[in-house]
Amino acid sequence: MRNKASNWILAMLVLALCAMSSAAQTAQATPPPPTAPHSTVFPKPVEKNLPNGLRVIVIPRTEMPLVTAQLLIKSGGEVDPTDLSGAADMTASLLTRGTSTKSATQIAEAIEALGGTLNAGAGWDASTITTNVMSPRIGQALEIIADVARNPSFKDEEIERLRRQTLNGLRSAMATPGSIARFVAARVVFRDSPYGHSLSGTPESLPRLKRDDIVKIHSMYYRPDNAILVIGGDITAANGFELAQKYFGDWQNPTVALPKLQITTPESTASGRRILVIDQPAAGQTAVLAVRTAINRDSPDYFRGIVANAILSGYSGRLNWEIRVKRGLSYGAGSSLDTRRSAGSFMASAQTKNVSGAEVASLTLAEISKLATGELLDSELSTRKASLLGGFARSMETTGGVVGQFGSLAMYGVPLDEINRYIASVQAIKAADVKGFAASRLNADSTSVVIVGNAKDFLPDLQKRFSNVEVISVADLDLNSASLKKTVGKN
Amino acid sequence: MKRLTLLFISSVFITAAVCAAYGQTKMPQMKFRERTLPNGLRVLSVIDKSSPTVTINVWYHVGSKDDPDHRSGFAHLFEHIMFKSTKNMKAEMMDRLTEDVGGNNNATTQDDATIYYETIPANYLETLLWAEAERLASLTVDDENFKSERAVVEEEFRQSILAPPNGRFFYAMDVRSWNAHPYKRPGIGSIEDLDAATVEDVIKFHNTYYRPDNATLIVVGDFDQKQLDTWVDKYFVPIPKPNLPLPRVNVTEPARTGEKRFMEYAPNVPLKGVAFTYLVPSSKSDDAAALRMASTILSQGRSSRLYQSLVYQQQLTTTATAGADLREDAGMFTFTALTVNGKKPEDVEAALRAEIKKLQDAPVSAAELEKAKNQIVTGQLRQRETSLGKSNALGRAAVLLGDPNRVNTELDRLQSVTAADIQRVAQKYLTDNNRYVIYYLPESERPKTSGNNPSTDAAKGGASK
Repeated sequence: MRNKASNWILAMLVLALCAMSSAAQTAQATPPPPTAPHSTVFPKPVEKNLPNGLRVIVIPRTEMPLVTAQLLIKSGGEVDPTDLSGAADMTASLLTRGTSTKSATQIAEAIEALGGTLNAGAGWDASTITTNVMSPRIGQALEIIADVARNPSFKDEEIERLRRQTLNGLRSAMATPGSIARFVAARVVFRDSPYGHSLSGTPESLPRLKRDDIVKIHSMYYRPDNAILVIGGDITAANGFELAQKYFGDWQNPTVALPKLQITTPESTASGRRILVIDQPAAGQTAVLAVRTAINRDSPDYFRGIVANAILSGYSGRLNWEIRVKRGLSYGAGSSLDTRRSAGSFMASAQTKNVSGAEVASLTLAEISKLATGELLDSELSTRKASLLGGFARSMETTGGVVGQFGSLAMYGVPLDEINRYIASVQAIKAADVKGFAASRLNADSTSVVIVGNAKDFLPDLQKRFSNVEVISVADLDLNSASLKKTVGKN
Repeated sequence: MKRLTLLFISSVFITAAVCAAYGQTKMPQMKFRERTLPNGLRVLSVIDKSSPTVTINVWYHVGSKDDPDHRSGFAHLFEHIMFKSTKNMKAEMMDRLTEDVGGNNNATTQDDATIYYETIPANYLETLLWAEAERLASLTVDDENFKSERAVVEEEFRQSILAPPNGRFFYAMDVRSWNAHPYKRPGIGSIEDLDAATVEDVIKFHNTYYRPDNATLIVVGDFDQKQLDTWVDKYFVPIPKPNLPLPRVNVTEPARTGEKRFMEYAPNVPLKGVAFTYLVPSSKSDDAAALRMASTILSQGRSSRLYQSLVYQQQLTTTATAGADLREDAGMFTFTALTVNGKKPEDVEAALRAEIKKLQDAPVSAAELEKAKNQIVTGQLRQRETSLGKSNALGRAAVLLGDPNRVNTELDRLQSVTAADIQRVAQKYLTDNNRYVIYYLPESERPKTSGNNPSTDAAKGGASK
């Protein structure tokens, strides 16, 4: 299934373009108006719970002989112990690197012989194991997923190997302005709460991680009553359920109850706002982020939030329009509303030449501020909604996209038929809703700014625009706490 | 983001097509219709009613290799300008006609071709055919828009080359690998050459290359064939075919006569890099399929030879890839590896050479060959999940391989590759005399007295012809 734009939005746009063409002088000089809209169909999920509590969702679609399957564990990096950031991601990544019957190499050979892919890792609020294979091979691929989820061996040798690889990856990330900025932004917004640390760990936390820590995370959270299996593609619901029963039916829950984790995201306030520069003298470009707390996924403000974000983000969104199209200051500027089980963040971002760092920071905050206080015409609102809906539809063009969309609804406990209400819910949002959301949830005065680049090129300009600018040298950066600065003498 | 180049996408998994029956899976044959207008425009269309959208894909047979002298990066900069104004469209109107109605658009500049595309609600097909005809026939450009967009492209240069620690490493590969062919100039260009570009260059480039007899229009999605034909007649037939000659790059890259080594130094190198390049034939060559298969066996997935040897067993590198970067006029078979902190690039080089020798000394196993074929088939199915992916596969066959039918025959070529073919191409091309070696090292390791150091900073100096 591809574009799911509703008939009514298309009809509305027909009217808009007809109006354009009526002002035309000749037929050739204006775009021909659209013809009648074509009808649309949504993919339909079918679901059931296995007796052990595993929720199974199958979304059949037959265009291509492909299937994506994902086992989703409803716990991710937020369960990392305070001094062991990266633990959940290491746990998930190690699953595919050895089970009680297969070595890491044998697992890779088994899935790749099928032509398939197998990826595992932790995100926020969830850890996932995902495969994509030709449909006749889905049974074999699910057998591999079940084996790695249920019987990982967590061999010391594999832990050491992955630890070294991850530390090398961090070494690269910590030399990349955009990556540094995102690590820092998480600490600025979430401080020392569970969403504040690096998902992949830090150079200090990874060496502390022991096999027992990993085994503990696996035994506490990888259990059928904390898991969802989502299968999308060229497969029938009956076949999907049968395979789920075959490979996961005898998966037992541990006798201990699933730990409940309550996360309280600290609210962004004007007094707590930070204007933070990370000085990376070798940076070939400056990364600018504006960031603050926003809303959780099941907030009643969800649709107001995603429409407000769509006004700012996207190619013709206000941020890109002001920063790229009008001023040529960046290859691309945008924003994202990251909704999670507890309140996530709103983040605007752009990269620019070092000397323009301060200007881009000001422009970004100005656009966030204008969303609450400036004008929002219905014409702009309707085109940004169309763009949002088009992107939503395109996200479901592939089996991987469909599984991602339904998996995300399922992991947050949102009813799956929200897919069918998505268009109407977006269309119901009015300009006043957007402005209200911006005023209450996206206040620019309590939005922090993180700038990573060669500070000598933009710092004087930045200090003219903002008071209380903090500067931390990249060599002194410490991602393990909200202060972000290594203590003196420890460098 | 928008208007991306495909600069560093290695061609390891470059696709072509899927069609015959393979294994247990039936590959859908792509049924396309072809017509050529009197002005030379080729039109290919595929009806696919699986969703109420249409993808339009316009291929112009001009790419970065056609950058004018001292204007490296120009074809790509020009691609950005194609989203500005035309006689009847003001700047950014293409976004109004796509993004604002729930569609999207983008473009990509490759070495040999430039591709513009949009996916839109199906009922906007006529509107966008009009718009594509507009920018083919009557692009306009003003100085202010030109300079602003040029600044955007310079930010794209910084974002892709200067900001990532390995940007300069990958940038150096074309610069160092090609001796005569304009492929040596990186598609993203250099700040200096971009700054030198003018509005006059834009007009001249459009007049020279953006003409119906150098374009292929591809429409994939939910439409009526007769109606499409009518609209194509209405908007594209009136565009005249110019009398100007259509210039073609006609440079033969000379055979290599011995190993060359390059040391690249950069200010921000957390992990040292090692690359090999070998000059190989073009994408049209009979050896292309065997070279692709070799790259898949060497580096696709964690069971691949390079991952198993360099990353997993020896733990010398964080990544190790092989790629068959096959272009229209010639190709490069490439190896790239990023060295684990503390390990020596010399040891990485030795490990890569050992894997190459292994490929030359003995045929790959039947299981490896079968696995690679399954990976390629599945990859091509994934590409064809979207109408954009289908149109790209068809365009590549028509424009770069010279025959749209290859969208339906390319997989057969890959499937007919034998272990002996792979061993033969490894012996033929991956030779010591055909190897260039690039090390990517931190600035601090640059020798103090560099009297006859052959390397300068590839990214800073640019690579003008």
